[in-house]
Amino acid sequence: MIWQFDILLLTLVVVCGFVSLWIKDLMGAVIVFGAYSFLMCLVWTGMGAVDVAFTEAAVGAGVSTIFFIATVFHTSRTIRYNKWDLSTKFFSSIICILMGFFLMVAIGDFPAWGDALSPVNNNVAKYYLENSMEETKVPNVVTSVLADYRAFDTMFETGVVFVASLVIFTLLLQSDGRKKLMKSAFQKVSFLNVSESLIIRKACGLMVPFMQLFALYVVVHGHYSPGGGFQGGVILGASLILLSMAYDIKKVFARFHMKFMIKSLAVGVLIFAGIGLICLILGGNFLDYSALSKLFPSMGSIKSRYNAMLWVEVGVALTVMSGMFAIYTSLSSNGKFEEGL
Amino acid sequence: MVNFFIFVGIIILILMMVVFYRVLKGPTVMDRLLGVNVIGTKATVLLVVMGVIFERVDMFVDIAIGYGLLNFIASIGAAKYFQHHKVLQPRSQWEEDLTKS
Repeated sequence: MIWQFDILLLTLVVVCGFVSLWIKDLMGAVIVFGAYSFLMCLVWTGMGAVDVAFTEAAVGAGVSTIFFIATVFHTSRTIRYNKWDLSTKFFSSIICILMGFFLMVAIGDFPAWGDALSPVNNNVAKYYLENSMEETKVPNVVTSVLADYRAFDTMFETGVVFVASLVIFTLLLQSDGRKKLMKSAFQKVSFLNVSESLIIRKACGLMVPFMQLFALYVVVHGHYSPGGGFQGGVILGASLILLSMAYDIKKVFARFHMKFMIKSLAVGVLIFAGIGLICLILGGNFLDYSALSKLFPSMGSIKSRYNAMLWVEVGVALTVMSGMFAIYTSLSSNGKFEEGL
Repeated sequence: MVNFFIFVGIIILILMMVVFYRVLKGPTVMDRLLGVNVIGTKATVLLVVMGVIFERVDMFVDIAIGYGLLNFIASIGAAKYFQHHKVLQPRSQWEEDLTKS
């Protein structure tokens, strides 16, 4: 934590937050919000929380801005007020100010950053830091905590991604009957004749393989460096998003079919929960990977925990990748899955 | 040596603030978009500088690469948006401008 950086970054973050609220043009607000997540990523890095910073860089700066842009694309860009809105605005601003005030008061009760006596540093964290290397042979403690000691949390987080993207997909999906009805009612006229840019096509075509390679590296190398299934999955999803922006969604779906996307969305969670279930059948606790050594006697307890973590990460990456792509395609094409942004 | 890199980081942050003025003030969305893009590039450099300060460059370079790869997706998305809707300012704003002039 370097105090000079912190002061400058904090001013930027606070100003960014206010500006993104203050701008009336929603497109501008989305872009400023992107800058906000850039800066938050720097704040996490300054605190030394590299994994959190990586997640913020991948999700906040990369994918969520695109989701916002896709949403603004199909809805209105301006905010309209009328008389009733102003009274609700007044009411909600009072609630917000009160909430902010209470949060400010609560800050006083928190222990100082990095305080050795705070409860966070005294109970379980000590155990993880001291025993992670002996028990799992994973140098990056964050990965071993997320995928092994606290795997239950991560499993349900993956479940949340699964449910969220499935809900968005099914809510926006237009059934065939409705599509036909829409087609007969509003004959689609392509008067804009949008020309695709050659530069973007070629540049994206060059970028995508490297992006996917880097994403696979992040997934597999998560035991030793920051990253893991979630971050790698987001980068994989982003590469698909980039491809569908350079060409169109139809073309990407020709390679990566919609049915395959939904299946891999479910398979990822299945891998995670399935490994837990196998552990349960083999006589251990749910997600207690050391029980897997009964199935593969040559691996032993430590090695089986190490390998099971890798498989769990792969499952998370599958779910997150197809989840991000499912959300993007349904938001940007308004549920028609023909042409995107 | 650490002091030197802290100094470099502070200079980058101050440069970021200069660009941030454009993001804050920017009459059109394009100014904001460009400003945010420049902030993104500076942030990539700052991540590596922080890695040198913490003496773990190998950890921070990964984040910087991921950051650099994902940084421009949002800009392409916004560019695509303006390709379809060929107005830089939202309707209410240019109507206001018209009535003023």
